[in-house]
Amino acid sequence: MKNFSKSALAVMTAILLLNSASPAQTDWIRTGTGLGVEKVRLAAANFKSSTADPRNAALLTSFNDTLETDLENAGIFDMVSKSFHPTSIPASPPEVKFLEWSGPPPNASMLAFGTLGVTAETMTVQGWLDDVKNPLSAQVLAKQYQDKATTDAARMTAHKFADEIIFRLGGGIPGIAETQIVFISSRSGHKEVWMMDYDGANQRQISKMGSISLSPRISPDNSRIAFTSVTAAGGWQLQMFSLELARTVSFPRFGGTNVSPSWSPDGSRIAFSSSQSGDPEIYVADNGGRSSKRVTTSPGPDVSPSWNPKTGSQIAFVSGRSGLPQVFTMEADGTNPQRMTDQGYAVSPAWSPNGQFLVFSWMRKYGPGAPGAQDLYIMDIVSKQWVQLTHDGGRNDFPAWSPDGRHIVFQSTRSGAEQLWTMLADGSNARQLTTSGRNTQPNWSWK
Amino acid sequence: MAASPEIYFEHAPWGRPIVASVVLHAGLAGVLVVYALFFQGARGPMWGTGGGGDAMSATLVSSLPLPSVETQSQSVLVTESKGLTQSQPVAQTQEPDAIPIPDRNIKKKVIKSVNSTVKPREPEPQPSNQVPFGEGGPAATFSASGGQGAMSFSGGSGDFGSRFGYYVRVVQQKVSENWLKYEVDPKVSEGRRVYVSFDISRGGDPSNIQVEQSSGVPSLDISAVRALKRIDTFGPLPADYAGNKVSVEFYFDWKK
Repeated sequence: MKNFSKSALAVMTAILLLNSASPAQTDWIRTGTGLGVEKVRLAAANFKSSTADPRNAALLTSFNDTLETDLENAGIFDMVSKSFHPTSIPASPPEVKFLEWSGPPPNASMLAFGTLGVTAETMTVQGWLDDVKNPLSAQVLAKQYQDKATTDAARMTAHKFADEIIFRLGGGIPGIAETQIVFISSRSGHKEVWMMDYDGANQRQISKMGSISLSPRISPDNSRIAFTSVTAAGGWQLQMFSLELARTVSFPRFGGTNVSPSWSPDGSRIAFSSSQSGDPEIYVADNGGRSSKRVTTSPGPDVSPSWNPKTGSQIAFVSGRSGLPQVFTMEADGTNPQRMTDQGYAVSPAWSPNGQFLVFSWMRKYGPGAPGAQDLYIMDIVSKQWVQLTHDGGRNDFPAWSPDGRHIVFQSTRSGAEQLWTMLADGSNARQLTTSGRNTQPNWSWK
Repeated sequence: MAASPEIYFEHAPWGRPIVASVVLHAGLAGVLVVYALFFQGARGPMWGTGGGGDAMSATLVSSLPLPSVETQSQSVLVTESKGLTQSQPVAQTQEPDAIPIPDRNIKKKVIKSVNSTVKPREPEPQPSNQVPFGEGGPAATFSASGGQGAMSFSGGSGDFGSRFGYYVRVVQQKVSENWLKYEVDPKVSEGRRVYVSFDISRGGDPSNIQVEQSSGVPSLDISAVRALKRIDTFGPLPADYAGNKVSVEFYFDWKK
């Protein structure tokens, strides 16, 4: 028996070697549903110092905090609390003691660890991701980054490493740690366009119109922001802000009130609402505002267009053609309008990145004596099944999707004045992003 | 007639009633505090707990691109053993249907052996790196063979699942997330299973999606194929993996 297992081992080793040399062979995975798909239990060990530079400590604090927050926010991991981490934190792959991490109390499946060190003005970060339940072939990821030795660079590097981990363990969907959110804030005294990192850090003013600006929408290539603002002449006009030039660039003026721009996913066209012909109707123009074409014709206002980011050939919008505002969809040329909501007061639709869902703000019971709660709902386009995402938390409006389709940013009065919040797309894990002034109408960058 | 100035010098006997009032209020406050402290739990469930009304649709939430919480488990994830383990559950040698059969036709044979009363199949010798059923790598059951349905180990080494358990898990999770159970006819009885096979290219894209073994329920078969067609990518295959593609056989169990 012993001989048999020895010879079996030898044969298997030979086969292993043979296989690695012949990539044409196909491996099979056999699996199925109902096997207990749970969140990956991930431990993010504090990175260690690799040099003796005194700046390391501050950079490490920033890096470790950002990495932990990013992975926590991703929504796909069950993070191991740092109080459960073993005392011996590895700085390189040979130092990982698998049993300490895979056994209780951490019970981790995955371990992120590494080093950070400053030499001269350069910060070098080495990061690894190990499958600690699989010591024979543990390494999933190994990365090295170099940047300036600043706190901002440390944060950015942590974002990059987190995104790399999320990409590997999240099924090929890029993480959102490097994305941005544009929004309207009144904290400067006027309603202006502001921008911040996805986690609420680094908030900064973008526009300086000195009037009222609304509905900012960032272009798919992150180079421009379309928004609408009151001009000196008194009307609402579309504005185009170039992030590369850091100023507004010229954009055609139309008659009437022109609001709520929305980018097509290829960035070549903009849909917006204009009352140049009387009623507010949806128009589609190219990204320079030329050759605009009216696509809705029904009596009653049509506003708030939102492109299907997956196909670029449908638009969701809000229409008052049936009385109270309701969410509709149509082809981008205006054909085949479909009413999605059946009652109440539904506004602010946003199409999910996979094209499958709409999220919107809905007062299901609207009118005298109705409770009038304004909550966010998500609807499957095909079946029109919907789920309520927010409950009993003030007025919730202006939802927008993150590019990974796992998060939604929105404005809510649950903490008093309007502030921006994010949550996972199933309504859990709500987090407040802004606290200063009134902050409204968020929009998430495409990458 | 002016009021007599005498009344300003008359004093009502307030002292005792005030003391009594203070004592009474203090007593009431004390009773409230004690009640709040000790009888809080007797008021039944808190608001916001328990199931919602008909406004919620559980199927839709689980179809969001987030990990769904499923309590069903075939003890793959609850076991603490690592991949490449050689331990075997006691039941494996007892029950013929628990033997891992590295054969693509596993389901047909299992059904036969269950229905017949012939003596159980002899356990086959396990290769040293074969992962026993339910004791697999960190993610999923896995068995491998080179080529289509070969019993021997002359082809692929079958170590994908043990080397890259995390990737198997990604596949499992992603397919489960994209399977919209409401596409299945609700009248279908539970326990139906459809096997679908597909390839994952080096870049992570699924292709060659086909029903290997139908469940006999068209809507279940179609929902399974649709789940896979919704997926753009599983993410690139692990960099250390030498092959150009991985083939997957995925089963969908219909449970309401």
